Amino acid sequence: MYPVIDSFAVHTLNGLWYGFILFMIASGLTIIFGVLGILNLAHGELYALGAFVVFSVVGYATGFVASPDDPVSAVIFGVVVLIAALVAAAILLPVGAFIEAVFVRPIYERDEVYQLLLTYALLLIFIDVMKFGWGTSPLDAGTYGGLNQIPTTEVVGVSYPSYNIIAMIVGVAVFAWLVWFFDQSKTGRIIRATAINRDMATAIGVSTDRTFTLVFAMGAFFAGFGGAMVSIGPQTAFLEMGLDPLVLSFVVIVVGGLGSLKGAFVGALLVGVISRWAIWLYPAVELAAPFAVMLLILLVKPEGLFGTWGEIE
Amino acid sequence: MSDPLLAVSDLHAEVEGFEVTHGVDLEVRGGEAVALVGRNGAGKTSTFRSIMGLTPVTSGSIRFNGEELLDLRPEVIPRRGIGYQPENRDLFTGMTVEENFRLPIWTSGESRGIEDEDAVVEDIFELFGELDHRRDAEVQNLSGGQGKMTAIGRALALEPDLLILDEPLEGLAPVVVENLKSYIREIIDRDISVLIAESNASHVPEIVDRMYVIERGEIVDSGDPEVLAEDEQIQLLMQGGGE
Repeated sequence: MYPVIDSFAVHTLNGLWYGFILFMIASGLTIIFGVLGILNLAHGELYALGAFVVFSVVGYATGFVASPDDPVSAVIFGVVVLIAALVAAAILLPVGAFIEAVFVRPIYERDEVYQLLLTYALLLIFIDVMKFGWGTSPLDAGTYGGLNQIPTTEVVGVSYPSYNIIAMIVGVAVFAWLVWFFDQSKTGRIIRATAINRDMATAIGVSTDRTFTLVFAMGAFFAGFGGAMVSIGPQTAFLEMGLDPLVLSFVVIVVGGLGSLKGAFVGALLVGVISRWAIWLYPAVELAAPFAVMLLILLVKPEGLFGTWGEIE
Repeated sequence: MSDPLLAVSDLHAEVEGFEVTHGVDLEVRGGEAVALVGRNGAGKTSTFRSIMGLTPVTSGSIRFNGEELLDLRPEVIPRRGIGYQPENRDLFTGMTVEENFRLPIWTSGESRGIEDEDAVVEDIFELFGELDHRRDAEVQNLSGGQGKMTAIGRALALEPDLLILDEPLEGLAPVVVENLKSYIREIIDRDISVLIAESNASHVPEIVDRMYVIERGEIVDSGDPEVLAEDEQIQLLMQGGGE
């Protein structure tokens, strides 16, 4: 195949992979905004925390299994790694619940400026906590032997890391689960009802405190899961890693429409691919290119591609 | 005489720092239908929202079945047996009529001892027969009358002892108003107590047993709805005049 087409395919696949990671972060951000009305500036740090936590969990978990040198051991190894990522994300559940109950709850009725100040303070606190817990040097979960031995897969004529393919499949599964959860499950529909009208939800017996805690914890879980998937794979965990994904996640939820899961999914893939194409063609505009696309979309559709103005859909 | 099902005493509530009710007193007895009549802004909705725990109360008492509601968290109040249809319907958009009926049961059905969710939902569809063919319609696509029926149906889903209806007849065509009145009478016939807010006093005599008149956050009169609805002073008050 021609080198340019090879490069196009690889960077598009990289964009899709990054898009799925962005979706995991942005889905939490858009759910929290849609239900709680909070724009959580510390969300990127929950993603970073997931990346750091998984470093410790994977290091512990992969010590129990052999390196993936044949199909059976590869499957066992992959399952262990995936479980480790889920465990890391699960650790973020109580973290999210604690933050909502202790710090965020008292400021719901206050001006948005308080929310921004508080979540920015949490962002700084999280960075210090990670510095305290894991030091200042980048950490690579890939240093745990077996992760570097996962073979590549032939996709659209190019050899591509199997791990990234698995991450994309996991991203699709997360999207499908979230759509099912909010469309079909009782808890999901109760959360949607709370997002639509808090007072009326209370008047039918919904505890909005519990619902908000659950939603914030879910948002933390998916951000942490995204961070874990990145950290296990091709990237390292480092202290500032939450910033770019946070900024791009804002672009994603604005492009997709605030509160729209489907919008976050499409927006994340769009932003992921465009940012990776930018890295390929003109790296200086890696962050600017998604913003340019956002501006164009907002000119045509001010409410975003699937805008619901705050209702989870 | 038996204790009232609902007893509101000397209720002072405030919205955004302003007192909106100044010592409201009212009672609803078991099986009774009572109207709270007043023009827009008189304090009907604030009184109802205070009962549901949605508007802050600065002093007074709201007792339901002898229990002080002001001591309870707002989400517990519907579980005690009060159904609420708000003035603006406030249906859960993006969801179907049937989902709007099921949501209260999912959140609080167990507390109300509801074991057969389907039976309760079908009972509501049986009451509001014309909603049956719209059960899968998303609520934002309903007509005004169907929307009001859905909001009332949702309030019935927890099999309440008291149903609070905030202006259920407002903004509806005359034929729909008559239709809805007959539904409300049917609910009363099922031995559910009803407290209904109305800004049109002429609607209430054929529905309720007793009527309160509220003006500027205070109860100014109460008694037989047929007598009060014909009272010239009350009529003047409803039009914005009078004392």
